[in-house]
Amino acid sequence: MATTDIGPRNPAIKAGEAGFDYVDKRTGAKTGFKWFLFRNIPAETSWFQTLGFTAMALFGMQAITGIILAMYYKPDPNSAYQSIDTITNEVTWGWLVRGMHKWGASAMIVVVFLHLGRVFFFGSYKYPRELTWVTGALLLILTMFMGLTGYLLVWDQKAYWATVVAVNITASAPILGPYVADILRAGPEFGPETLSRFYSIHMLVIPGAMATFIGLHLFLISKLGIAEPPYSKRRLAIERAEDEARRAAERERLPYGRRPVPPVAPRPSRPEPVKAEERS
Amino acid sequence: MNRGQQEYYKRDYAQAKAEGKPFFPYAVYKDLIIATLAIGLVITFAIWHRVEMGEPVNPASTDFVPRPEWYFFFLFELLKIFKGQNALMPVIMATFIIPNILMVLLILTPFIDRNPERRIEKRPIALVTGIVVIAFLAYLTNKGASEEASAADGLPLSGLESNAAALAGSQLWLENCTSCHMIAGVGQPGPGPNLSDVGTKNVVSADTAEEFLKNPPGSMPAFANFTPEQYTQLGTFLEGLGTEYK
Repeated sequence: MATTDIGPRNPAIKAGEAGFDYVDKRTGAKTGFKWFLFRNIPAETSWFQTLGFTAMALFGMQAITGIILAMYYKPDPNSAYQSIDTITNEVTWGWLVRGMHKWGASAMIVVVFLHLGRVFFFGSYKYPRELTWVTGALLLILTMFMGLTGYLLVWDQKAYWATVVAVNITASAPILGPYVADILRAGPEFGPETLSRFYSIHMLVIPGAMATFIGLHLFLISKLGIAEPPYSKRRLAIERAEDEARRAAERERLPYGRRPVPPVAPRPSRPEPVKAEERS
Repeated sequence: MNRGQQEYYKRDYAQAKAEGKPFFPYAVYKDLIIATLAIGLVITFAIWHRVEMGEPVNPASTDFVPRPEWYFFFLFELLKIFKGQNALMPVIMATFIIPNILMVLLILTPFIDRNPERRIEKRPIALVTGIVVIAFLAYLTNKGASEEASAADGLPLSGLESNAAALAGSQLWLENCTSCHMIAGVGQPGPGPNLSDVGTKNVVSADTAEEFLKNPPGSMPAFANFTPEQYTQLGTFLEGLGTEYK
């Protein structure tokens, strides 16, 4: 690194930079961070392409508010309802944290579905981003399961009966259904064990899986680059140029009459777009 | 997508990147604005509409109408579409087959749609599919949301108000039968059969209700503590289900 030659004279800054270099030489963190932040992406990104980050931010908010709630919550049928009551009515800002966690769940579902729609309508799931889509689809399903398992923890009538129905529906599935329902209920009946089972699924199993898939999703996004909107000015100009070139080729050949119009050449062998050459 | 198209894409994307801008700050600032807005909205909602405490759990009560969170309304409504127990459209369609098919289709979308075209107006099948799915989800979610109010104070059935005996019968049903039976999405889907159109099957009438409830078939428990009038009311209600009250 250049700090030894032309670095600042201030010894404190010098020591700081040396420290950064030390870490960077052993981990590549600075280089990796620089690569991640200052890599080029297509010039035009749409506002609709912010929804993925928003979903992740909401996941982070759910994680933080969830951790705070877990500090007060007791996953035991005798005290669960009471602990929620304490959080709502006694703990300082408890009502706000619980409200954010509850509304955050709905917001996350909305944003995740909007993100899904954006990716679908932009065609962003196509080559080379197929596996990014697969991890994203799994994240959507996990988000739904997060809502389902979190519902019971409040341990009020609504939560209890809705979850009884959901587990009954699971039990009605063929072959594996009854076994999965037994695992969810932690036994043949809905009892005290069921609540702690749902609690650990809600705050350990699914968040762990979600963090893994978010990591994979992000890795693929940064590796493959952000999708260019299909209607970006650059793309549209290229498409116009390609159409023009094709029509020109057809015009040239048609007057000869007898020769049939050759089939449209596959995309890669088409002439390089005019605009690209001009710019380079 | 064949190899040539993949090569074309790679060259095109490399060019887009070469002509592009750095990720930070050009994309990050948009992300941060929208994410901050979203979290701000969540906090606003949390302050504006405080989360209430519901009734504590009482597994013994049977008159509670279970409702899922709003984002499961579409699955909940699907259950009502497939409420018939016949062989062609069993409940398992709504609880297992359709949701699983949808999940598999969702995961496999990139392997089904292999056309390299990305502009939606040039992908008619994808466009129509997308709009149909959104319309269907919106319709079912809205249907579930609008039924929430009516389910809270009774059954979402039309025609009940005109018959006082049937109305009283529906109240009796809500108080005693919801833990095993379901009518129009209210009550439990099991273990008893769905009664939404039991009136068309001539199982129970106003005259046979007392006899039926005192010596019920199968594993159903006997209801022997009703007054004769209550038997008639419940019978009247069940007799008209699916015909007069839908």
